[in-house]
Amino acid sequence: MKNMRKTGFLLTAIILVLSVMLAACGKNNDKNASSNPPSSVEPSVSPSSEPSSEPSESASTDMSALDEALAGKYKGTKVTMFGPFTDADQVKFEVAIKDFEDKTGIDIQYEGSKEFEATVSIRVDGGNAPDIADFPQPGLLNTFVKSGKVIDVSTFMDMDRLKGNYNKSWLDMATMKGPSGDIMAGIWARSSVKSLVWYPKKAFEEAGYTVPKTWDELMALTEQIAKDGDPAWAIGIESGAATGWPATDWVEDIMLRTTSPENYDKWVNGELPFTDDIVKNAVKKMSEIWMNKDYVYGGTKSIVTTSFGDSSTVLFDNPPKAWLHRQASFITSFFPQNLKSGEDYDWFYFPSIDPQYGNPVLVAGDIYAMFNDRPEVRAVMEFFTTGESLKTWIQSGGVIAPMNDAKPEWYTSDVERRMAELAKNATTLRFDGSDLMPGSVGAGTFWKGMTDYVSGTVDLDGAMKEIQAGWKQ
Amino acid sequence: MRRRPRRTRSKTTVNIVLAVICLIWLIPTVGLFISSFRPATEILKSGWWTVFPHKENVATHTITLPKDTDLRQPIEVDGTMYTDDQLRSGAKAPDGSVFVWENRRARTISVQQSGWTMNTNFTTENYEGVLTGKQYQITDTDGSVKTKKGNGLSRAFLNTVTVSIPATIIPILIATFAAYAFAWLRFPLRKTMFVIVIMLLVVPLQVAMIPVLKDYTALGLNGTFLGVWIAHAGFGLPLATYFMYSYISQLPKDLFESAFMDGASNFTIFTRLILPLAVPSIASISIFQFLWVWNDYLVSLVFIGNQPNVQVLSMKIADMVGTRGNDWHLLTAAAFISMLMPLAVFFGLQKYFVRGLLGGSVKG
Repeated sequence: MKNMRKTGFLLTAIILVLSVMLAACGKNNDKNASSNPPSSVEPSVSPSSEPSSEPSESASTDMSALDEALAGKYKGTKVTMFGPFTDADQVKFEVAIKDFEDKTGIDIQYEGSKEFEATVSIRVDGGNAPDIADFPQPGLLNTFVKSGKVIDVSTFMDMDRLKGNYNKSWLDMATMKGPSGDIMAGIWARSSVKSLVWYPKKAFEEAGYTVPKTWDELMALTEQIAKDGDPAWAIGIESGAATGWPATDWVEDIMLRTTSPENYDKWVNGELPFTDDIVKNAVKKMSEIWMNKDYVYGGTKSIVTTSFGDSSTVLFDNPPKAWLHRQASFITSFFPQNLKSGEDYDWFYFPSIDPQYGNPVLVAGDIYAMFNDRPEVRAVMEFFTTGESLKTWIQSGGVIAPMNDAKPEWYTSDVERRMAELAKNATTLRFDGSDLMPGSVGAGTFWKGMTDYVSGTVDLDGAMKEIQAGWKQ
Repeated sequence: MRRRPRRTRSKTTVNIVLAVICLIWLIPTVGLFISSFRPATEILKSGWWTVFPHKENVATHTITLPKDTDLRQPIEVDGTMYTDDQLRSGAKAPDGSVFVWENRRARTISVQQSGWTMNTNFTTENYEGVLTGKQYQITDTDGSVKTKKGNGLSRAFLNTVTVSIPATIIPILIATFAAYAFAWLRFPLRKTMFVIVIMLLVVPLQVAMIPVLKDYTALGLNGTFLGVWIAHAGFGLPLATYFMYSYISQLPKDLFESAFMDGASNFTIFTRLILPLAVPSIASISIFQFLWVWNDYLVSLVFIGNQPNVQVLSMKIADMVGTRGNDWHLLTAAAFISMLMPLAVFFGLQKYFVRGLLGGSVKG
């Protein structure tokens, strides 16, 4: 007995010693990450001077950080990156940057978290900010810009090259108000197109339906399908704590089609209240479909309780239980595995309502922002402005590149190539409004108000007042 | 002689009541377990209880209505008029069978009789996906498609073991030392310090996160196992100390006095007397602490993050469902795999557990 106890105690001691040793190993890792002191190379441009005024000079005299990196100058350095995508997306991302890592010797350590929004705030406040963070919601990035924590990328990037490689509205969206004037808060990396209506192509053609070009044709098709015996639309807005967001996308898409882009911008900035008739009118347009129990699979009541991802699967039952599903490009990851894009399913453009507003397109995307200014981080940021940084991801499917130098032939399926073209040729390109609004509205009352409206607990006026109240928080 | 049957009867009643309570408690777990063996499409369509034999309407034959039937008017089926809504939810026919749409578009109605069925579509895909990692289709720069295998749970499982075991041993060891000191040693400010420890019990750990993170950043402890051990130890200490104190202070005083007379030092008393005597309560607080650390998400999220070389199980499982939750069906299987270890610990130390539950209650 006595001996056994002794061994037990010894064991505890050994484990303790081992743990301390392990910890020492772990610590070493961390030291490597921060071993490079900030900026040994000259950043040269001060934030106040206009970098774009003398483009030829800045482009030719000093090499950009990216060129230096490709020359192997930052071999062995590490750049930490933190973002919201995990799993399959993470694998695709890592494959896409592998070539760059091999060439430059920079190790980009990506860390994905499902709790990105909450965690990034804790990390930045705790002084443990990643070198680069991937924000799917510019509204969230804006709060960090306001507190002056984000580095202005225009201080070192060749603005003319950026202007050549991005649609102007992308660059405008990256410009945010910091404590000392406007800064370029980050660069746009991957995007998705939202104004898409998915349909089961094969069955759709067999049933003799045609793709609608106008809103009236869309409503006629909806009515036709209802007469034939099916509800046309598959709609679900349940998404855990984020329940309601697909409804906000609908409203935004319809807003772009029923009012001017200027009004849309005002609305997003909080100058046009939700209680205004313009916004109400958009929600009413949406209700023509949503509130008609013959048009929605499972009836209006089931919209709130159906998960946004699973709602689309009924399109592929045999025969389809519903025929149309409006959702961004990522929804294909929820489709049954054995379907072929372009054959079994396809999309058409969510048609315009009022011809005077042209063909607007609603997009979303991730903006990469920089928290630590080191030369190798600059190099990585510059790399992310090239289409090359997304090449294999585009080829594997799932993203649309916002950069102009991403080649159309990289898209392996016609379905995705057409999305890229749609975004490029849009008369108006606008970002998902709820992602731009402050969190209390865009990720708060807007979601909740729409959910309450759809579930029938409040009427339209009540819902709009409820959403508007979020601006005061 | 007379009492005996009575006692047995009351015992049976107690047992039945306990069995019913147990059953109610177990139902969600059983449901989850069954779901973990069902394909995702099936889970969406029907409940897990349909795997048991149950009565359901089974189609016997179909009736085809004329193609031009207007669905918004009453519909005639077999000589009786029904509305569309009735046919959607299933309408009783005069002969007792049920009419329900089979395909509204083709205007076919299925006639159903109630009968016994069970749903036996099972799969081990969920477990395979979780254990061996998922497959991803990646197109390479040259356009060739290759399949990449994701990571399974094994690395995260080992990481969690690495986190949990020291994070259980360290605080409990310290707490036992402290409890002995608080209970049997006389030193200045003993009472005050003990009250402070008790007060720390009510401080929620969330308020300490950002300050601790700031210190960790300065010390370079973020993302290391040592950091998370210390964090868990710190957050677990107040309860462990209080728990051990209430046990150790109950040990008979004479024991230590006689040991002291024989020339034992405090350390000898502690290692030779206290530790062996306190094994039951050490075991039970270990279970608490271990389960808490094993299932923890928040502390790991903040202090070690999601890099694959340090990622713990709870975070790996959360990631597995994909960026937009498209692989939710893997959660069922992953949940059961993550439960294996706590179950093993619980059953291994079970005999201490009940004793441990009473640990704090005998003496306040």
